[in-house]
Amino acid sequence: MPKKIIVIDDEEIVCRMTKMVLTKEGYEVETFTHSRKALQRIKENKFDLVITDLKMEDVDGMDILRETNKLYPNTKVIMITAYATLDTAIEALRGHVFDFFPKPIKIEELKKSVKESIGTP
Amino acid sequence: MMNHLKRWKKNLSLRKKINIAIHIEGILITVISIFMFFSSRAILSKLNFIEDFDNINFSFLEMRKSEKNYFLYHDVNALKEVLKIGEKEYNLLINSKEEFMSKLGKKDYIMLLAILDKYLNTAKKIVNISSNADSNYLELTKNLREFGHHLTQFSIFLRNIQHKKVNKLVHQNAITLFIGLGIILVSQLLLWQYFFISLSKRLLKIESLTKEVANGNFHKVVTNVERIDEDEIGLLMKGIIHMANELEKREEQLIQAKKLASLGVLVSGVAHEIGNPLNNIFMLTEGYLSYYDSLEDEQKKIFMRDVREQAKRIKKIVRKLLNFSRQKKFEFNLVSPIEVVEKSIALVNNQIKVSNIKVHRLIDSNLPFIKVDVDQIQQVIVNLFINAIHAMPKGGDIFVEIRVSEDRTKVIIKVRDTGVGIKPEILPHIFDPFFTTKGTKGTGLGLSVSYGIIKQHNGKISVKTEVNKGTTFIIELPAHLENNLEEEKHA
Ligand SMILES: Nc1ncnc2c1ncn2[C@@H]1O[C@H](COP(=O)(O)OP(=O)(O)O)[C@@H](O)[C@H]1O
Ligand SMILES: [Mg+2]
Repeated sequence: MPKKIIVIDDEEIVCRMTKMVLTKEGYEVETFTHSRKALQRIKENKFDLVITDLKMEDVDGMDILRETNKLYPNTKVIMITAYATLDTAIEALRGHVFDFFPKPIKIEELKKSVKESIGTP
Repeated sequence: MMNHLKRWKKNLSLRKKINIAIHIEGILITVISIFMFFSSRAILSKLNFIEDFDNINFSFLEMRKSEKNYFLYHDVNALKEVLKIGEKEYNLLINSKEEFMSKLGKKDYIMLLAILDKYLNTAKKIVNISSNADSNYLELTKNLREFGHHLTQFSIFLRNIQHKKVNKLVHQNAITLFIGLGIILVSQLLLWQYFFISLSKRLLKIESLTKEVANGNFHKVVTNVERIDEDEIGLLMKGIIHMANELEKREEQLIQAKKLASLGVLVSGVAHEIGNPLNNIFMLTEGYLSYYDSLEDEQKKIFMRDVREQAKRIKKIVRKLLNFSRQKKFEFNLVSPIEVVEKSIALVNNQIKVSNIKVHRLIDSNLPFIKVDVDQIQQVIVNLFINAIHAMPKGGDIFVEIRVSEDRTKVIIKVRDTGVGIKPEILPHIFDPFFTTKGTKGTGLGLSVSYGIIKQHNGKISVKTEVNKGTTFIIELPAHLENNLEEEKHA
């Protein structure tokens, strides 16, 4: 069974590119541009890793983080953000964020960070 | 000299002016009263004199009665009675020579005396002859009658002259009184006009100035005062102008600070807006390069097409930014405000129809023209319409009003919707660049760009809103002066 990753970002291209990179690595990847739907999916299904954008309409990255921590304490979270304020960074780190990814996202760094968090597929 | 006087007048305080005015009034009344007093006394003394003179006249008539008796009865005693009365009056005239001379005039006085003298002399001669047989007798009696007649005629004539003089004096007195009262009345009116009308005018001016200050039209206060006197009210006016000046300076500083603040909002907004497409391009190109060998031609095409899409996104943002920073040169044209509004409505007509919205027009007749960049103003009105459409997802009404201000210096365009309204806590931000409540569907630039355009036209844009009732955006644009319009048409 390959490890399961969910990618949430309201930019469709971010989802598509992340999925392409990680699928090629051998992970099983689901993507959502709609954060509320993604949250629903997380509640139904356990993922090994959540990669989410911080700033989104409706349900934002912090909400996803809190919910994931609550439901699955072992699931790792990687946060993507264009720019993080100190406050969000502190809160995110307290919530056991595994990594912080500033935009633009570099493919090699993404691969490395995912491998470090959940290991090879 | 005149200038000196003017400056002196200008430097007088209000209190001094009132003092002087009251004194002048007092002096005027006193002069008129004194004049009336003396002229009344003159009339009185003339009347006394006429009474005295009437006594003399009466005596002359007595004298002539005796004279007639003499001719009837030829009684010498009657003639002696004539002499007695006549000499008494003659002595009276001589004794009070000064008074009679001054009142009757020297010539008339001497004439009267001479006639009386001749009359009496003739009477004396007749007494001395005392015989009808004398050859002179007839001649003398004829003379006596003639002189007597002369005497009474002349003295009555003199009395009438005196009477006329008194009449004239009384008349003069009445006229003087009338003119004097007139002068007092007019000066009263002038004082009233000066102190109350001009005073209250200036006070009203001060009231209107303070109103302008309250409304924040500081510049109007500073430029609107053409004349300032040096009195108390002038000082008050100066104080208000000084205050308005200071307030205007502060406001300019405040606007500058606000501009800087909105620049900050703008910069962080731009960073955020452009960040996403940039990141997309970055990821697309990196993926393209990393997986180049394993990508099929069709996939490569999709990559490049996506890159182009993202570049377009950036271009769109940049264009809006340029609009916002007003890089584009404006092209001002004279147009009817109705035309601009109708053209704008035409642009959004389809959206209005499918959104189940009705547009109602409320338009003043006889609207002045406006000098505007039509495209830009159209963009503003379209923005307002689109916002209104967004605010009424279930349909509703849009009311468009085009009005002219009472003084015909402004054209006012109102766009009112019956939509969701704006919450008080977000109201202060709606004109900020990139502020939107519509997520990725909104740019948050509509109102900030509109604000910039209207400012550029020396106009004003404001908003009134009530949650769940609706929102009204109000645009004020300077009206083109009407007489200029004619000239330009001719040119
Ligand atoms: N007619 C309106 N009714 C309710 N809200 C409005 C209206 N017009 C503007 N707004 C509010 O102001 C915000 C900013 O408007 P705007 O600058 O046009 O940006 P955008 O429309 O892209 O959001 C909107 O997101 C909305 O919240
Ligand atoms: Mg808008």
